[in-house]
Amino acid sequence: MIRILVIARTVWIETIRRKDLYVLITLLLAFLLALMTLNVFGLRNLVSYIKEAGLLLAWVFAWILTIGVSVRQLPQEEKTGTIFSLLAKPVKRSELIIGKWLGAWGIAGASTIIFYILLAGIVRARGGNFNLALTVEAWILHFCFMGILSAMGILFSTRMNSDAAATLTGVLSAVAFMLLPQVPQLAEDLSGWRKESLFIIYYALPHFELFDLRQRLVHDWETMSWEPFIMIVFYGLLMSAVFLMLGWLAYRKKRFNRDVF
Amino acid sequence: MATAIEIRDLTVEFRTGPEVCASLNFRAGGKVVTALQKLNLNVAQGEVYGFIGPNGAGKTTTMHVLLGFIEAVSGTAAIYGEDVCRSIARRRIGYMPENPQMYSFLTGHELLIMAGQLFGMRGCRLAAKADELIELFGLSDAADRKIAGYSRGMMQRIALAQALINDPDLIILDEPTSGFDPIGRIEIRKIIAGLRSAGKTVFFSSHELSEVERVCDRVGIIAKGRLIADGHISQLVKAGETLEQYFVRILT
Repeated sequence: MIRILVIARTVWIETIRRKDLYVLITLLLAFLLALMTLNVFGLRNLVSYIKEAGLLLAWVFAWILTIGVSVRQLPQEEKTGTIFSLLAKPVKRSELIIGKWLGAWGIAGASTIIFYILLAGIVRARGGNFNLALTVEAWILHFCFMGILSAMGILFSTRMNSDAAATLTGVLSAVAFMLLPQVPQLAEDLSGWRKESLFIIYYALPHFELFDLRQRLVHDWETMSWEPFIMIVFYGLLMSAVFLMLGWLAYRKKRFNRDVF
Repeated sequence: MATAIEIRDLTVEFRTGPEVCASLNFRAGGKVVTALQKLNLNVAQGEVYGFIGPNGAGKTTTMHVLLGFIEAVSGTAAIYGEDVCRSIARRRIGYMPENPQMYSFLTGHELLIMAGQLFGMRGCRLAAKADELIELFGLSDAADRKIAGYSRGMMQRIALAQALINDPDLIILDEPTSGFDPIGRIEIRKIIAGLRSAGKTVFFSSHELSEVERVCDRVGIIAKGRLIADGHISQLVKAGETLEQYFVRILT
C-alpha cells in the first residue's frame, strides 16, 4: 500500500508543479467573473443561469484535467526512461497502475473542490446559494465519475501513446455521456442483431449520466435518497476497478527495453 | 559462497518489424531477432563482475531481464534464489540505467526519499541515508534544486545515489561511468571499491575496458547474445596482454 501512495504522491507533486492546473483554475475564474457581471436583458432567474453555466464549466474542466493527467502518466514514464528506475524497485505492475490512477484521480478530485468553491463564491455574490448537502452529494458523484474516467485513461495509455489514449478516452466518455441515455429509445425502432449490439454497447460502457446532479443543484431540488446514491457510488467504484483490471492485464507482461533494436 | 545472480539457458527474442501504428506501439511483420541465446551466467555474492561486449550484444537486455523489464522466451533467471519475474527479487537490488533519467520535477533530496519509500524505508533512517548519499556524491549544494536543472554528471550522481538508497546487496550498473569526467570516474571507481569491501556484489556493463580491468574480479564477454568468455581476468588474458587486446582478439 505504501508504494501505491508513494507513486500517487509523485503524480500529485508533478501536477502541482506543472502549470496546467493553474491555467484551468485561472480560466475558470475568468469565465466565472464574466458570468458574475452578466445581466442579460434583466433576467430574473440569473443565479440559476450562473449555476448552470458554472457547473458545466466545472465539469468540462474536470473532464479535460482528468483525461490530461491520467493518459500521460505511463507513456511519459516510458518516453523519458524514468520507468526503468521505477520498476527496478520492488514495485509490482499492479501497484504502478493503481498508484498512477489514484494520483490522477486524487489531483483531479481535489481541483474540482476548488472549482466548486469558486463557483459557490460567485453564486453567493449574486445573492444565490447552493444546498450544502446536495453539493456534497453532487461532488462525490462527480468525483466517482472522474475515478472511472481516469481508470479509462490509464487503461488506454498502457498500450497507446498519450495522444491516442486521450483521444479514445475523450471520444468514448463523450459518447457514453451524451448518447448512451438515448440508446433504449433508439433500440425501439430496431430488431435482431442490431438491437442486441446496441444493448451490448449500452451495458458495456459506463453510464456517466448517473453521476451528474447538476440539474438538482441548479434548481435547488432535494438531496438524493441514500440507497440510490450508495448504489451509484458502488457502480462507479466497480467500473473503475474493471478498467484498472483490464489495464493491469494489458500492462503486466509489457516489455520495456530501450535502444536495443 | 552464495549466488547473487543465476541465469540458466536464457533466451530472449524481439520482433523487429516496422511500427505499423506508432500510437499503438504495434509492430507487425519483420523478423524475430534473438537477443540472448541460451545464456548461462553465475555471479557470486561479493564479486565485482564486468559484463562487456560490443553494441547490441545483449548486455542491456540481460540486465533488463534481471530487473523484470522483459520476460525471456525460455530459460530462468534468479537473484538470490528469487525468480526475477517476482517483485520480491528486486528488494535487494540497486540499479542505475544507462543515460539515466530521473523525475525532473523533484529535487535531488525528494528523489532519494521517494526511492527509499518504494523500498519500504521511512523516518529518520531514510532521511539519514539520503543525507549520507547526497554528501557522498557531492550533491549537497544541489540537493534542494529540481533535477531538471542538473548537469549530465549530476544526473549520473543522483541516479547512482538512488540506486544505493536501500543499501542493496546487488548493484546493477549499466555504463556507470559514461557521463562522468575523469575525476568523476575516479570517484565511481572508489565507490565500487568501497562496495566490494563492504561485501556487496556489483554487476556492471561498460565499454571502458581499462575501467573494467581495474575494478573487476571477473568478466563475462557477450557477443550476439552468447557468452563467449567468462572468468577471472588473469585467467583469460595472456601474459603481457591487456583486457582490451584480449577483447579484440576474441571477437575477431
